[in-house]
Amino acid sequence: MTAAAPNDFARSKQAREAENMLDHIVDDFDDNLASMTYFYDLFRRVYIQGEDIRPKGIQVGTTCIQAPEELIHAFGAHPVRLCNGSYHYDQIGADFMPAKSCSLVKATLGMLCSENPVPRVGKLDLVVNPTTCDQKKKASAMMEGMGHTVFDLELPNVKESEASRVYWQRSVREFAERLRALTGKRLTRKNLLAAMAKTRRAEMAFRTMDTFRQRQPAVLLGKDVFLVTNAFFFDDIERWTEAVEALNQELAARAESGVTAAQRKAPRIVFTGSPPIFPNLKLPILIEQAGGVVVADETCSANRMLYDMTAVDEWLVNDMVDSLADKYLKPCTCPIFTRNEDRQRRLLELAAKFSADGVVYQSFAGCQVYEMEQKSIADLLNAQGIPMLYVETDYSPDDMGQLSTRIEAFLESIKTRKRNRK
Amino acid sequence: MTYFAGIDIGSTAIKVALVHGDGTLAGAHVTASGSLFHKNAKEALQGLLDRHGLRREQVRYLIATGYGRKLFKEADDSISEITANAIGAHEAGKAFGGVRTIINIGGQDSKAIQIDGEGGVVNFAMNDKCAAGTGRFLDVAARNLDLDLEDLGDIHFNGAGAALSINSTCTVFAESEIIGLLANGHGKGEIVAGIHYSIARRTVRLAKRVGIEDRVYFDGGPALNKGLVAAIEDELGRQLVVPEHPQTTTAFGAAILARSEYLAEQGDEA
Repeated sequence: MTAAAPNDFARSKQAREAENMLDHIVDDFDDNLASMTYFYDLFRRVYIQGEDIRPKGIQVGTTCIQAPEELIHAFGAHPVRLCNGSYHYDQIGADFMPAKSCSLVKATLGMLCSENPVPRVGKLDLVVNPTTCDQKKKASAMMEGMGHTVFDLELPNVKESEASRVYWQRSVREFAERLRALTGKRLTRKNLLAAMAKTRRAEMAFRTMDTFRQRQPAVLLGKDVFLVTNAFFFDDIERWTEAVEALNQELAARAESGVTAAQRKAPRIVFTGSPPIFPNLKLPILIEQAGGVVVADETCSANRMLYDMTAVDEWLVNDMVDSLADKYLKPCTCPIFTRNEDRQRRLLELAAKFSADGVVYQSFAGCQVYEMEQKSIADLLNAQGIPMLYVETDYSPDDMGQLSTRIEAFLESIKTRKRNRK
Repeated sequence: MTYFAGIDIGSTAIKVALVHGDGTLAGAHVTASGSLFHKNAKEALQGLLDRHGLRREQVRYLIATGYGRKLFKEADDSISEITANAIGAHEAGKAFGGVRTIINIGGQDSKAIQIDGEGGVVNFAMNDKCAAGTGRFLDVAARNLDLDLEDLGDIHFNGAGAALSINSTCTVFAESEIIGLLANGHGKGEIVAGIHYSIARRTVRLAKRVGIEDRVYFDGGPALNKGLVAAIEDELGRQLVVPEHPQTTTAFGAAILARSEYLAEQGDEA
């Protein structure tokens, strides 16, 4: 063995963080699902051993779920989500980012400028950066400064108007043009249909898994769901789908035989706000360690990413691109949009459908849109008798003690509330 | 005789409370947490028992709360300090006609809790991460001013002029602001009052976030500071209910809960 290079040291810090989180996910809970082993191993290989699992070919980095992955697949290229949840990369990003910027953006940029990024994104042929929140928008120039080629995918600020819809459809068509130039391939009805079918199958698998979360008592914990959906960021889409389908079979068997993943009276929580991204599953893990269950979520690292499907009733390739564009604009409940009644409607719907007892709202410190919107969401939920806990946090482990106190108190108050109602 | 106990292992102090079989307070005790908080917690509990001439077996149920709660294996169960605080304040507040809002300032954090008529937590807020507006902040300020923590309360009322305004929201920056004020020749009284008002404003803002209802109970170590009490009352525009021993409310709540948990268990067995 040669002496550890500085990069190896950096990787080992990142790997320790990942290992620590995986140990919590796997060891702190009994009766883990056998089919989750695929995902536990996947994260070990990629995040701890630094294995490069990327398929050969053109790599397109995406900074947000707003980038239509079907298009990338259709051109035979491979999408990889660049969102990063590692405190180690957050600290690298903090060297050149404003102190008050969001952990996610800091960690993503920190990863992109480091020589040994994990997951191994390697050389990216293109980064597609949807113009969503201000910090991601401003990241384009910084990523170019690091030597990446960036395509700004122009997203409107309003999603309801017809003008914005047309504007967005045009942006997506331009993205297709750019992919054509990059890959030298043509977009055809056939390859787009095949790509849509592949994504739809993945979404179907996710939806099936999601319906199991309605069961009482719970058969599946949120910590596993976030791990599964986070794997979608970088895993081969078909391999991922098969692993989720296997998971669904085991869940069906579990439900049949009455095996449960939590206590019957465990408070049922809807998780919303800034996305849990591995290894920063701090908050969902704390909730479940304290005896709650995350039964549903409204985040871009899970439900918002895989829930809505493309409905194609147009059979000409350009019209198909438009309907694909619609899928990425219309159902999106991100708080970057001005007027966001859709997110409120969605949260109430989730709370009712998944029999939730409360909502935990995470905002990364520095994420203005989530910070601003929490008040209106809290008011809305409280008016419906659903308690909400608002937590402002970041990727650092410093506040774990304080957070566990707040989460336990929240779960205790839910239990008291339920007892008194009887 | 049977007893029930609650132990609140905080960042700065360990508080132990003992209740009689009927749920009334038998005694309470406060010691510093120190760095060996587990050993100190055991000693604090033993010390209280010794003072009352009790054996450990007479304590039928013990509940731990506070940051050290999970590491204290001697306890039968643990509960978050927010729930324990609510139960303790609800019980202690009865003597004052009942309370519905609690302001608690501890060593490392400050909380505001709204409770219902039964002492159940309706809503709560806690400072995010930062130590501004907590006991730690007072501690640092006292050191900068070369004063004893206990003296801050009296000095508050000695200021010649109006309270100065301390604007920094960060403990470290506030420290430099205080040093700057001293360098500019301001009296300690005015500065101390300024510090109290700065904490009061932060605390009241926190309380407004959860909604202030009815009588407001103020507890935690800093509630012993009369100057801070006056400043919060001023900012709040109403009187506070401050118990005689504000530091032990949370431990008292844990002890009350220990009693009801024990009774519930007995009931299950019967």
